[in-house]
Amino acid sequence: MNYRIRNKGTVLKLTLLLLALVCTFFTQQIAAQPITVGNNITMSITTGVAGGTLTSVVNTARTLTYRRQLAIAKITVSTSCPTQSFTLKVLATAVPDGIAAPEVTLVNGMPATDFVVNIPVRPPNTARSCTLRYTASATFSQGNSIEDGNDVHTVTYTILAQ
Amino acid sequence: MLESLHHLGYIHRLISHHFCQLIVGLRKILAIELLTLALVLGGVAKGQTYGTDFHRVTVQVSQVTVVLVSLGTVNLSISGANAVAGQNTMTVTDLSTSFLWGTNVSQRKVTAQTNLAAPLFTLKVLAVNPTQGSAAPEVTLSTTAQDFLINIGKSSGTTQLLYTGVALASQGTGADAHTVTFTVTVQ
Repeated sequence: MNYRIRNKGTVLKLTLLLLALVCTFFTQQIAAQPITVGNNITMSITTGVAGGTLTSVVNTARTLTYRRQLAIAKITVSTSCPTQSFTLKVLATAVPDGIAAPEVTLVNGMPATDFVVNIPVRPPNTARSCTLRYTASATFSQGNSIEDGNDVHTVTYTILAQ
Repeated sequence: MLESLHHLGYIHRLISHHFCQLIVGLRKILAIELLTLALVLGGVAKGQTYGTDFHRVTVQVSQVTVVLVSLGTVNLSISGANAVAGQNTMTVTDLSTSFLWGTNVSQRKVTAQTNLAAPLFTLKVLAVNPTQGSAAPEVTLSTTAQDFLINIGKSSGTTQLLYTGVALASQGTGADAHTVTFTVTVQ
């Protein structure tokens, strides 16, 4: 009977220890965001070529910051833009951890598409940043924002186990 | 002596019993801890989402209209080779140039006009083989803008420019220098 009481005590201690470890783990997760993306962007197309197309615009002013996880991970991208008229693409460049996927064409309602893959496991648990290279383009036949409105994309980046 | 042996056997059984209980207890501990660990680690298994974030990217496109004429100068020369005995009218044509445009504004057309208010001779222009829209009838150029290409909509395209110079023998000789302007405008 004494052993059972001692065993129960041991179970309690070990469980508390494990809970403490779990709490520490999740506290770290909350304190250190797994993924963050820079502020909003506006891209303006203002010129074109007669007999050709409008001149595309590139923006590389924003970064995507992420951390290694407990398992090999990847980052996906998707967008919501219900009244999309024009073309928007995004590519990860200067990727410190993982491999950049090919340039993704952002289309309203698209499934989450690979953006950075094969992100190694931690350690280290330090924040890493890659550059977001957005390219906006349009054809003459796609119209203009005054008649058709702007395209406002809500671009979502998700880091998940691969 | 027998009593002592009996006591020793009892102690041995007692120790064995408690030892077995200890083993069973440790197994339970191990099972519980493994289960807990599995639950924790299970949370980071394949497909587990670690985090997500978003921002907004706005794409705005201005109203853009651009035009281009392929060559800057066209020379039309009416000489004796263009004359037919007994006919007053002499003509010459040129199809060496093209007009290119691009517009992302709806309901557009192209007009043509000249800056020369009082030319000696007649100059006409016609859109040939336009890639978008429809060619208007041949335009006799004046200082008033006239339809040259209609229904181009929101498009980019090209068309050949067929210029025709017309002179009457009775008009004598001379030269007209036109600056021809093509304009994309509201239809």
